[in-house]
Amino acid sequence: MGEGAAKVGLARVGRLLRPVETIAYWLVVAPLLALLPAALAYRAACWRGDWTLRYWPEKRCEVVRNLRQVLGEELGQPETERLARDIFRIRTCEVIDLMRLRGRARSLRDLVEIRGGEHLDGALAGGNGAILCSAHFGSYMCAFSLLHAGGFPVTSIGRWWWNYPPGQSSVVRRLWDLIYARRVLRHRQRPNIEPWPGRVQVAVQAAAALRDNGVVTICSDAPPLDAERTRTIKVPFLGRQASLLPGVVTLARLTGAPVLMAFAHRSADYRHQVLEISPPVPMEGGTAAAFGQCVAAMDAAIRANPAEWDFWFEPDDLVRLGLLPGTSPAPAPDDSAGRTGELPQFSR
Amino acid sequence: MEEVINDYISRELVQDASLLPLGNATSLLETGILDSLSLLRLVVFVQQRFGVAVDDVDLVPEHFDSVDAISAYLRSREGGRAGQVVGHG
Repeated sequence: MGEGAAKVGLARVGRLLRPVETIAYWLVVAPLLALLPAALAYRAACWRGDWTLRYWPEKRCEVVRNLRQVLGEELGQPETERLARDIFRIRTCEVIDLMRLRGRARSLRDLVEIRGGEHLDGALAGGNGAILCSAHFGSYMCAFSLLHAGGFPVTSIGRWWWNYPPGQSSVVRRLWDLIYARRVLRHRQRPNIEPWPGRVQVAVQAAAALRDNGVVTICSDAPPLDAERTRTIKVPFLGRQASLLPGVVTLARLTGAPVLMAFAHRSADYRHQVLEISPPVPMEGGTAAAFGQCVAAMDAAIRANPAEWDFWFEPDDLVRLGLLPGTSPAPAPDDSAGRTGELPQFSR
Repeated sequence: MEEVINDYISRELVQDASLLPLGNATSLLETGILDSLSLLRLVVFVQQRFGVAVDDVDLVPEHFDSVDAISAYLRSREGGRAGQVVGHG
């Protein structure tokens, strides 16, 4: 048997084993790893990331292609390969973050330095709540959980893909509720606010949380659904004119809540993180101008730490955002997102 | 009340001019006039204009699907009081 046939066989075995390995990692391995000392736990997570990189060559190629298409060919092959490796490692480490949210999240809190907490305190002193605008970047859901564990009443706006479409397998839904939502929602003031089409009450629910002087988090880099396309605006983002929803600005203006940018990024040892919270973003001028400042902050965060951004893994999302050429992916039957929305991805 | 609400929605929320003039029975959800953020704008408007606080539990399509439905809901909330336009009249 030739070398080529062996590779094909290996790839086929990898395809069969990957879902099983993924479920085992989320359900068994990661919870156990999270009990170990942090240095050991995150090192093991990096090994698992490297293993996934090696045995999932088609996804590695896709990630490399996405990086080069969006960030430019000048990135260079070695740098792109290093970023791809980091992307796989970081995705795996984020599962450990989630598992370390147990109890009062002390075991994760010890690893995350929060900078700019005084900006959030100052914003809440105004009495209109505060909006934390972020991106699908770094361990953002766990970072928000840490803020809540630290005494800020946090409510999140975001789509959890396994909740829709309505025909979604109840096993899948229960699985992700069990291993993901349960852990996150323990550190939230209110249930997750999910802006799926037809849920017109979403903004009013967010306004109610702000009226109680709460912190509402929103990721403004979410790929728009087909039903939302008419409300997107074109803004400069990662070197292209991306289509994004400026809801954060509208919500801020209607409620009087200040908008602060928040990004968490991982240090070179993969276990320590920094969560940086900005001063309030000026909301003067038109919607496009105000939202442009939020997008510029997301752009800067992603360019500074490209491997932390989630969407390199998902070309369909990059197309929806207008960062990759191509027609918008076919909508799901209920016109909800094809798959993703709020992470985690099943492939982590 | 219907006239005031219809006027506000027509001016502030309708983006597709082909939907104008807006009928009081026209579905705001089916025509896409009302989405999450425009509902918030509408709620802020009716609270300021008619002095009616809208409870979270009342945020159901039946109450906000048309100008007629909104008016009926507001009247039910405040009885006769909501029939009086507050503010600029």
